[in-house]
Order: sequence, then structure tokens, then C-alpha cells
Amino acid sequence: MKYLFTINLNLVCHVRTLHTSGWGQQQEAVAVESEPEPFSVFRTQETDPACQSEKHLGQFYTLPSAHFRPLFPHGLPYRYQQQVKTFNEACFMVRPPALEVISYLKKADYSKPALRYLFYGVKGSGKTMSLCHAVHFCYTQGWVVLHIPDAHLWVKNCKELLPSSYNSARFDQPLQATTWLRNFRTTNEHLLSQIKTKRRYVWTKRESTDEGRPLGELVNQGISRVKSSSDVVGALMKDLRLQSSQPGADFRLVVAVDGVNALWGRSTIKKENKSAVDLEELTLIHNLKKLMKNDWTGGAIITTLSQTGSLYTPKSAYLPQELLGETGFDSMDPFIPVSVPNYSEKEFESAYLYYLDRKWLQHPQSRTEDGKKELSFLSSKNPSMLDRICGFL
Amino acid sequence: MESTAKKRRCSFNKDWETTYHWVKPVQGDSQRVFCEVCQSSFSVSHGAPERSGREFGSRKPRREEGEPRTEKMPLDQDWTAVYPAATPFRAGSVPLPVRMGYPMKGGVPPEKKGNLELIKIPNFLHLTPAAIKKHCEALKPFCTEWPSALDTDAKCDEHFPIKVECTDYVSSGLSVRNPSARIVQLKVKLSILNLDDHARKKMLKLVGERYCKDTDVLTITTDSCPLRQQNYDYAQYLLTVLYHESWKTEAWEAEKTVADMEEYSWEGSPSQKNIMDMLLRMKVAGEGEGEEVQEQLLARSEVQEYKDSVTRLKNEGDNESSVLQYKEAVKKVFNL
Repeated sequence: MKYLFTINLNLVCHVRTLHTSGWGQQQEAVAVESEPEPFSVFRTQETDPACQSEKHLGQFYTLPSAHFRPLFPHGLPYRYQQQVKTFNEACFMVRPPALEVISYLKKADYSKPALRYLFYGVKGSGKTMSLCHAVHFCYTQGWVVLHIPDAHLWVKNCKELLPSSYNSARFDQPLQATTWLRNFRTTNEHLLSQIKTKRRYVWTKRESTDEGRPLGELVNQGISRVKSSSDVVGALMKDLRLQSSQPGADFRLVVAVDGVNALWGRSTIKKENKSAVDLEELTLIHNLKKLMKNDWTGGAIITTLSQTGSLYTPKSAYLPQELLGETGFDSMDPFIPVSVPNYSEKEFESAYLYYLDRKWLQHPQSRTEDGKKELSFLSSKNPSMLDRICGFL
Repeated sequence: MESTAKKRRCSFNKDWETTYHWVKPVQGDSQRVFCEVCQSSFSVSHGAPERSGREFGSRKPRREEGEPRTEKMPLDQDWTAVYPAATPFRAGSVPLPVRMGYPMKGGVPPEKKGNLELIKIPNFLHLTPAAIKKHCEALKPFCTEWPSALDTDAKCDEHFPIKVECTDYVSSGLSVRNPSARIVQLKVKLSILNLDDHARKKMLKLVGERYCKDTDVLTITTDSCPLRQQNYDYAQYLLTVLYHESWKTEAWEAEKTVADMEEYSWEGSPSQKNIMDMLLRMKVAGEGEGEEVQEQLLARSEVQEYKDSVTRLKNEGDNESSVLQYKEAVKKVFNL
């Protein structure tokens, strides 16, 4: 493994000592020549989000693959998914916004109404990743994860729109609902058999789900019977909400919605007579909005704003009020807005070292000090821009 | 444009000197000849100078160009005499080494001599400070003295709160009249007028664009009547009517909706309802329903802070600091 160590030596020569604590260890690792994996300054071995703290800020932790597959069948940004496939590992950076929300989640009192957290920031600053980090924490704590990957997907490009069987004024979206139910099942497999339904749901004249059946059955019903899948989603949400509110509940519910501003924006879906569909008329959106209200206890609601998929909003909008609008703000109020800024110096350093370590930066100039400064300037330390630029090198 | 047969350009031929006495060669350029009659050189690349036969003694010799005026200008000259009125740029009269134009490859912008770019653009060489001073001195006999007591802006505002501006135009032409002279502009600060809260809001809604928030000045510009005096009367009338109307309250004003409100008021807003709901459910104040619980909750400092932050967020729009303030207030309410 001499090859790996020559690379390390290069790192030792060119890297500035921002991580002075790990510096000595790095040198030792090179001298001893017994570690098969380079013990890097930008990585931390702490894979449990509950135990991460300020000293791990700026460092990458690897998600154990046992967690990765079930937890994120959906929900990660597309480019990041490709990166995970390329590098064969899923690494999250520990950053202040996610740590802040995790600390609130730890401190919060779950007999009180659910608290709402909102990640906001410029495009590509890491809001979705922070959300996923927080969701990973909840998952490790054994909560039920209700993760909607992008609410914008539910308000646009709908190929099939059925009038709802439950309420004739509303419209169903069977395809989106079934995909989501499938992913939900993957994430919460182990918990679905334990939680039981509290009410009786009648789907058609012949099919119904009785009280006391495991939730898994409800979900399977929704996946197999595509027509009623949107109603299943609604029923699922209602049930989970009611159950987690009860004092004797043995689980907690985290509702993670990415692109929550879609719920109060406009939609591009058109009815057959070419008039636009009002958001209230979509079953999925209607039920999700009910979940967003903090009239239930025993859980938390973590959301992000997203301009990227949103409709009819200017590109430069990133602050909460601009993207949520009046109605959105009034519905979400009171919430805790958490700002997600671009990388700081230390974080940028970490990301750069990570790419170097993974041999993603092949260009010889990228290893020099000047190259690093150039990268920092070109991407203005914006995580997604850095990712895109490094893709060319 | 090359023709198919290769042609060579003509150059100076010694025989021409004998044939045409006025022809002389030009040093350094074999494709030009110098005509002694008209004292200029022209190109002969396209053939012998037969064309110039007609110039043979028929035109007056062109006299030499003199020195440009700039060489003879003393440093302390009276510039207003050089450019007394608006005239196009004259390279020979402006003693500045001005260059203008696109620099060709390896070159610099062309000089001012014969530069059409400089002639095309408007110049203000006739409006130097010295010229302005002269104009002012010339206009002084027609003006009255500024009152010495009004030496600061504040005093002017105090004694003369309404300012009326009209413009007179002087030009030479077929008629001395100018239709733009009828425009009258009336400026007044709204703080001078005695308006209560409702009257002020109504006034602002009535005038719309004519009010400037930064300087608190209402500007009424009238030009609908043909004469200045009529416009002035109309402007005064408008001001009076605006003032009286804004004090009146009509019956339909009761239908004012939340969307019409100029400022966000927290009382009765969904935000207040939300936070009250939440606090009641969190049972912060202890058991008991009704007004006193509400009052108690409202009196808490966290709720007041929350109210301030929401009002600021809604009125100012969002920026980083107002969002941070809101965050701190919400955290305090939830004891995080």
C-alpha cells in the first residue's frame, strides 16, 4: 500500500494546518505504516449523530450501509446519490445547522405540541443534506420517519389525476402516492409491524382495513390497490399523528418535508378543462398540510425551503417569507428558522481534502495551494458549485 | 475585389512631367503625384493623371492652412469668449489633447483633428463655472434680493411650507410662447398638515405615487389647464380637497380588508391565534380559560418579543437580521 502513502505525503506537504489536533496523528500514521486506511483529519469515526458535537464540526462521518439503504430510498439530492455510487460510501459532513436542530430535538419536550424547524439558505448550500442528517439522527433513535423527498414533485408534472373516491371535489395522484408508500415501507419496515391502526378504514365495498391491524398491512393495501393509494396516504398520516399524540405511545414521529414552500405555492397541474388545479383540491397536499399543523404532540416537523423546484418564484429568493408567502408563513408560524450558509473555511478545507482522498480531483494543479484558492474562489464555497466544478477536474 | 486578369497599379511615370507641367512626383510614394496648381497630391494608381486636365489653371490655388488658434491661446484667457454659446466641437479652438474613438489594433484612439466622433457628441464647453457666473451676473438686475432672515432650509420650511415651482423658457424662434411653461409643481411636507392616523392613511391612499416616503414630501404636478395661473389654482384646490376628504370617513371604509392594510398589525392576526393556541395547549399559564389567561399570556415578555419580531418581519420584508430576531424570539417562547 505504498501508493496510498505517497498520496498522503503529498497531502502532508500541501495542506494548511487548520485541523491542528489531527496533524500529529497524521504524521504518526505515516511513520508507523500499519494503518490500512489513511486516518484523515477530515473524517471522524463517530457515526452516531446523537454523539456528534462541536468538536466534530467540519468532519465527514460515514453512514453505515445498514442504515443507508433503508433510510434513503428517496430524499437525497440526485448528484449526491451519484457520488455515493461512485465513492462506494455515503459521507455526511457535520455542519452547525444540522447539529443545532439535533440539539433541539434532544432537548425538546415531547408532551408539548410538535416543533417546526425550517432550513433556509441560498441554492446549493446544503439544506437537503442537513435535513437528511437530522433524519438520520431520528432514525437511529428509533422514530418513525415520514420523509417526503420533494413536495414540489406532487404539484407538478402529474400524469394521472383521478377524482377522489373519498371526497368528490378533490383529486388523487395515484402514481406519486404509490411510489411514496413503497419508499415509506422500506424506511420503516421494522416499526410498521408494531404499530396498529386505531380506526376502521373502508376502501371499497369489498375491501376494508379493520381496527388493530398492523400499519404494514395498510401500506401494502395502498401499494397493491393503486386507485386508493392517495387515501391510504391520508389515512396513514392521520393515524400516525393521532397515535404519537397519545401519552402511552412508544414511538415518536418525525415529519421531514423538503421543499415545503410547494404546499402554499401554485401548481401547474391542469384539469381536463384546462383550468389550473387549486392546491387544496389535491388529496396528498391537503393531508400533508394537516400534518404540518402543530396540533399533535410527540414528534417534530423538520422542513426545508427550496427554490429549485418551485413554481413561479424568482431565482434569487431564498428567505423564508419570500418563498413561503403570506399563507405559508401564517400556517407555519411559529417555527424555528435555521440558516444554512455556504461552507466556512474549515468546512471547505474538509470537502477539498475529502475529494482529494477519494481521488476525485485528478488535475495536477488541483493539488497545489493556488489550485485550492482557485476552487474556493470559483465556487465561492457553495457546496453544490464545488461539487460541480470538481466534477470537471 | 480582384478581377481575373492581373493588373498592376500605375505608378509615377517620368514622361508625365513633360506632358503635364504641373505634375511633380511625391517623395516616398510612387503612386501619388503632386499637382502644383491646386497644391495637393492625388493617387494615380488607376491610371495617368488625365482627369486633372481640367484643373489646369482653372481653380484658385488653395491657400495654406494657418496655425490653429490653440497655439496662440494664453493661459489666463477668457474662455467664455472662445465658446460663448453652444457650438459643435472645434479642434482648433480647444487646447486639450483629447482623443476619442475605437483604437485599432496596436493603436490609440484617434486625435481630435478631423475627429467626427467629437463633433457628433454634445459638449458643455460653453457652460464652465466662469460662464455660469457671468450668466448669473447678467440675470441679477432682473432678480430681487433673497430675504436675509431665511438663511437655513429649516427656516424656509417653517415660514413657507408650500413650495410652488414654475419654469420660464426663453428661446429665439417664430413664437416666444412655450407650452411647457404652464406646468406647475406644488410641494408640501405632510408633517405640516394636521392629520390624524386615519386621515394620514387615507391621504396616502388617495395620492398614491405622488408621495415620497423618504423625504415625506407630497408633490402635485398640474398641467391639464392651458395657462399657468389656472394650473396653480387647480393645484391649490387639489391640496385643499385632499386634506378635507382625508378627514372624512365614508361608510364604505368599514369594508377595509386585511389586504388593504398598509402595516401589519399583530392583534387579531393568524400569528397571534397560532401562538395563543400553542401556549394554551402547552398549558404554560396553568389551568383556566377565558380572558385573564389570554391577558396573562400576552403580558409575558417572550410573547411581546415574539410579537415585535413578527411585526418587523412582516413590515420590513425579510432580511437576515429580522429572521434571526424571529428565531431567537421563537426559541425563547419554547424555552430551547
